Amino acid sequence: MDRGLYVAMTGAKQIMLAQAVNNHNIANLNTVGFRADSVSLYSQPIYGPGFPTRVNSVAGDSGTDFSSGVMQSTGRPLDVAVNGKGYIAVQGTDGKEAYTRAGDLRITADGNVTTASGLPVLTESGPLNVPPSTTVTVGSDGTVSVLPLGLTPLGVSPTDRIKLVNPPEKDLQKGNDGLLRLKSGGTADVDPNVTLTSGMLESSNVNAAQSLLNMIQLQRLYELQVKSMNSTDQNEQTAQQLMSNAS
Amino acid sequence: MNLALYSAKTGLDAQNTQMAIIANNLANANTTGFKAQRAAFQDLVYQNVRQVGAQSTQNTEYSTGLTLGTGVRIVATESNYAQGSSTNTSGPLDLAITGQGFFQITMPDGSLAYTRDGSFTLDNQGNVVTASGYPVQPAITVPVGTQSVTVGADGTVTAVSATNKSTSIGQIQLANFINDQGLQNIGNNLVVESVASGSPQTGTPGLNGLGTVQQGSLESSNVNTVTELVNMIECQRAYEMNSKAITASDQMLEYLTTNLS
Repeated sequence: MDRGLYVAMTGAKQIMLAQAVNNHNIANLNTVGFRADSVSLYSQPIYGPGFPTRVNSVAGDSGTDFSSGVMQSTGRPLDVAVNGKGYIAVQGTDGKEAYTRAGDLRITADGNVTTASGLPVLTESGPLNVPPSTTVTVGSDGTVSVLPLGLTPLGVSPTDRIKLVNPPEKDLQKGNDGLLRLKSGGTADVDPNVTLTSGMLESSNVNAAQSLLNMIQLQRLYELQVKSMNSTDQNEQTAQQLMSNAS
Repeated sequence: MNLALYSAKTGLDAQNTQMAIIANNLANANTTGFKAQRAAFQDLVYQNVRQVGAQSTQNTEYSTGLTLGTGVRIVATESNYAQGSSTNTSGPLDLAITGQGFFQITMPDGSLAYTRDGSFTLDNQGNVVTASGYPVQPAITVPVGTQSVTVGADGTVTAVSATNKSTSIGQIQLANFINDQGLQNIGNNLVVESVASGSPQTGTPGLNGLGTVQQGSLESSNVNTVTELVNMIECQRAYEMNSKAITASDQMLEYLTTNLS
């Protein structure tokens, strides 16, 4: 067994995985509030009998890009965008608190406020619920005011406040459902400094040009690995020919 | 299955659907009472290839894991129920709703549908019907020999006879829903109630948060063509990039098969 062949094969396999992460980012170019994933390849020497001369490459998450996306004006009162750092607290499908930047909210028939994917938006004391009303307005600190049916504009009253948090980015981790959660598993405290803008949505923060460049680079790297697999193969062939000529 | 190829493929799918929605909005830029729709994108589930924090040996743990995203999907189409601008038509049975609410329409099967399109006409019996011929609920019949019909802001319909005598012939009622996003579009400018929309709350226009009725006007489509065109450009470029990603992944595999054979 030629060991060099396997080093190149591992490289090619891991680069294909990195390409998958990059393609996932490109697929989410238009996903509201999406945070780009990044992947990096790191070296892992192979220890065993003899010297550790071979170094395999291993793909690993190098975290999530937490920079802000572009703000798009939509004019819809229930579209909210988080200004600067911060997250909106929602209830994940597992019932636990999770965080998102996607603020395209809606109201269900029961008056629950949810995200576009149907996850309930949380206040400090549980899911946010609004009474039947003419208008629902979200203030910059997350306060939700409603004008209940049948009342004049004098009847506008605040109902509750959306839970806005701003935990340190190093404590956050993207779950398998794309929502952010604390690595420790706990819940983050309300941060009064996080503000919202109503009538706006934050677009995906994927940098299209950067992703295209990454894609080309990964493609060429992959070809290098294949080329070196090919060379190993040719070496073996030459060796085989020499040996069969000698005999 | 190659994940890199399939992630990009989901991107193509989603952008394609987005383009269909944009095209439908643009096609309805002149449809009375039309409400623009938009797509809600969501990232698909992530594959956990290597769990972060798992033990790499008895005493050490992996400081990074490897999670692979699997692409994108469209979870919902959201209608924007913002008010469209009023256009003056002077037609006596052209009604626009200023504010919330829907006109109630009786469908041929007897069920109720709802619309913001108030371009009503009369049928051969004198009933007030939509452009498709479906009667308004509660039914309003204009008597023979009526000279003019007046609809008040509160929906009261008054007919003036040839002898200049005015009679009230009915009252237009509006319906409202707690979650108008949840209404199901069925075409013909109509929407129907769904589990998500909640049940309709009917009432007199102008009361209980319902809008008022404006005679001689129609609510035009609320599609903002500039926004749609910008969205279209964005969508087209995103589509191209996803297609490029597929090509690149394909070339990688092609390179592999041609060089290692």
